[in-house]
Amino acid sequence: MVFLTISNLIRVRGPDEFWRKRRIFRLAAHFVGRRRNCYSVAVRNVHRALVYATKARKLKKQDMKDLWNTRISAACEQHNITAFTLKEGLDRSNIMLDRKSLSDLASWEPRTFECLAAIAKQKLQLDGFIDTVDKKYPTGVNLNLKDVMLEAWLKEKK
Amino acid sequence: MSAVKRAQQWATFARTWHIFDCKWQDPYESANVIKKYLMGLHKPIYHPMNDCGDVVVCINSREIALRGDEWRQRAYFHHTGYPGGATWTLAWELHNKDPTMIIKKAVYRAMKGNLQRRHTMERLFIYPGEVIPEEVKQNITNQIRQIRLVPTRLDHIPEEEVQKYPKVMDYPEDYVLK
Repeated sequence: MVFLTISNLIRVRGPDEFWRKRRIFRLAAHFVGRRRNCYSVAVRNVHRALVYATKARKLKKQDMKDLWNTRISAACEQHNITAFTLKEGLDRSNIMLDRKSLSDLASWEPRTFECLAAIAKQKLQLDGFIDTVDKKYPTGVNLNLKDVMLEAWLKEKK
Repeated sequence: MSAVKRAQQWATFARTWHIFDCKWQDPYESANVIKKYLMGLHKPIYHPMNDCGDVVVCINSREIALRGDEWRQRAYFHHTGYPGGATWTLAWELHNKDPTMIIKKAVYRAMKGNLQRRHTMERLFIYPGEVIPEEVKQNITNQIRQIRLVPTRLDHIPEEEVQKYPKVMDYPEDYVLK
């Protein structure tokens, strides 16, 4: 068996020390004190920071999801409808809005959100869907569906 | 009005003052409701770094109801920091000392322990009775719905109404009422 790798490793000593350290120091540039000035301290902290960054990529998504959920349930509460009922009603009427869009609508376009809540309520009424979670009856706006020509659209099977 | 400022709504960020009647309410359940208003979780613009919490005024905190045997069972722990400085105060003792303390601690514990918690607690006013200062009263614009219906006590119903109420049976002559 011929080991090609070993002879290559002997010849190539790896990157220059200066450049190797410089790469670490660049990543530690925003640290404070010895953590940015001493290599042996800096490299430990850079590795730790990179681990945090890796974990945070997932955490950020979870945090945003939690925030959207909080905002949606806050907006739903104003119209006396639970987030579950809203989602169920919108799914049944084939309105595929995700959490982000719903929470954006809730904070920036409250009237649009109110109409969405009304549509969800109307759709569940037409379907005869009884939600045991929702003790209170949804009191959103009453859309006059004949005026906006939604009735046929809501009644059709999705 | 310019097109940019057409939808500008300053009142969105205004602090609303809510009132909550603690009469016959479980403090630990109502703490979750109060917390929601204090932190601003009931607003669609909520963000942890957005100062959008409201003010909550709790009245009748002397009249709270603890479930089951909790008045005797629940102990509040305090430590002075010195050796042997630990004390355990039962809920009824604490309530006798300060009728606002149980609801205050319940709300404090319901919130997550971060730097903001103590500042949020500053926006909670608790009064043992129905009397609240005028400068607090004039700000209140909303009432938080109670979690439970306040039951009417039998001795608070007028005598003639109790007499009129249909009876299933009369007690026997020789029956001794406790």
